[in-house]
Amino acid sequence: MQDMSQMSTTEQFFYYMQENGLYVFSQFLDHFLISIYGVLLAALIGIPLGILISKYSKLSGVVITLANIIQTIPALALMAILMLVLGLGKTTVIVTVFFYSLLPIIKNTYVGIKNINKSITDAGRGMGMTKAQVLYMVELPLSLSVIITGIRIALVVAIGITAIGAFIGAGGLGDIIIRGTNATDGTAIIIAGALPTALMAILSDVLLGLIERKLDPVKRQQKRINQVI
Amino acid sequence: MRNRLLLTMILVLTLIISGCSLSSNKKDDSIKIASVVTTEGQILAYMMKYMIEHYTDEEVELINNLGSSTVLHQAMVNGDANMSSVRYTGTDLTGALQGEPIKDPERALDFVQKEFAEQFNQTFFDSYGFENTYAFMVTKETAEKYNLKTVSDLASVASNLQAGVDTSWMNREGDGYKAFVETYGFDFARTYPMQIGLVYDAVDTGELDVVLGYTTDGRIASYDLVVLEDDLNFFPPYDASPFADTELLKEKPEVKKAVERLVGKIYTETMQKLNYQADNNLMEPAVVAEEFLIEHNYFEGGDE
Repeated sequence: MQDMSQMSTTEQFFYYMQENGLYVFSQFLDHFLISIYGVLLAALIGIPLGILISKYSKLSGVVITLANIIQTIPALALMAILMLVLGLGKTTVIVTVFFYSLLPIIKNTYVGIKNINKSITDAGRGMGMTKAQVLYMVELPLSLSVIITGIRIALVVAIGITAIGAFIGAGGLGDIIIRGTNATDGTAIIIAGALPTALMAILSDVLLGLIERKLDPVKRQQKRINQVI
Repeated sequence: MRNRLLLTMILVLTLIISGCSLSSNKKDDSIKIASVVTTEGQILAYMMKYMIEHYTDEEVELINNLGSSTVLHQAMVNGDANMSSVRYTGTDLTGALQGEPIKDPERALDFVQKEFAEQFNQTFFDSYGFENTYAFMVTKETAEKYNLKTVSDLASVASNLQAGVDTSWMNREGDGYKAFVETYGFDFARTYPMQIGLVYDAVDTGELDVVLGYTTDGRIASYDLVVLEDDLNFFPPYDASPFADTELLKEKPEVKKAVERLVGKIYTETMQKLNYQADNNLMEPAVVAEEFLIEHNYFEGGDE
């Protein structure tokens, strides 16, 4: 057994990764899944809600204010409140993530659809499309990149919130960070938990950014024009 | 265009469906082991998990990092968890059961086993084989400077010393701070309640002079701390045992068998060594537990 105190923090970090690599990986996956499920659930509710309030503008004030209020509650407090109802563990964290993801997703869906040039939807209607057809064939494709931006923001925030979830026993990379604060010389362990968390946030941001750019209608059209030329 | 939309929709749908399956096998009959934030609690939690997974087909979920034994107890009463990785006789005697401290280890164990069965329908197993009691500890230098060997030796110098203790110990009835001052008849200059994991560092760096720590902590050896003898037998026995809902054990007797294989197999020195690996050698409790079980072949053949 090597003497840990003789090693620098960087060496300790690599030693830790070598010893516990599999464990870190399984926590990484857990962490990622918790965040993803929370955001997906929010997308499932948030996107239809966003579409709805873009059609019935009277509702938009109420819904967005409500989502705004949720966003102002500190994550730890919201988690503690939900814990009283839902108990300890992963479910509570997923629900917390869900609540925090609602605002960016609803707002972006709303803005994405509202910002579409009225003449385009009118043209669709004029061609004899039904309302549903306009929604699926015109509005959603045109606002898709903005909606993805909302999901992207939500996911990055969600990864941060999931890290706090370790306090109510949900596991994930936050577990490793908390352990680092309890260990004798935990700097390396804290880094071993924090670095993958940051990496996860950056990677998912970049990935969704790529998708978003792919789906941006303006750029898509330019590409097509270039191809024709 | 339409193809792409269809593709994303299928993708989202599969993710949602897999999500449903993930949450649905988290139904109430699954085994959930709750564990406190201490390294020891986590090592034992993973040991329990691996033992159950090794001997049965059950899915086991861990609820980690709970703040104290009180939270653990609440989690089990509320049904958030149905097993605890480790419970200590002394803690539960005065904590969850609100009883009077019992100094005799065997009588204490009998008492908690009987009371938990009657009041909560929960099973307090026989001990793992180690005890993790509170003890006051100082650095070697402090011990030499004041010639300290027992807790009573602190009496004459206590008014110059700053102490750090576990947060939950401060308010505990029976064997807590108040009772300590009454029994030993002295008090420290200041007593800081803090998270238990921090006290060893605090005394090692000299920020505090004396701390109340756990006897199985691996850092006692790594910091070369001197454990002061509890000469007035103030602290009740803290024998460590696995803990579970009786209901669960009745439904799944094979789980009970798997856990019972650990009973009487982990000694105080063993636990200190395991804690040391996790606290000092940068190994995760999960890894420590797995290696220990593999080394002992999952205590196979220990059936009576």
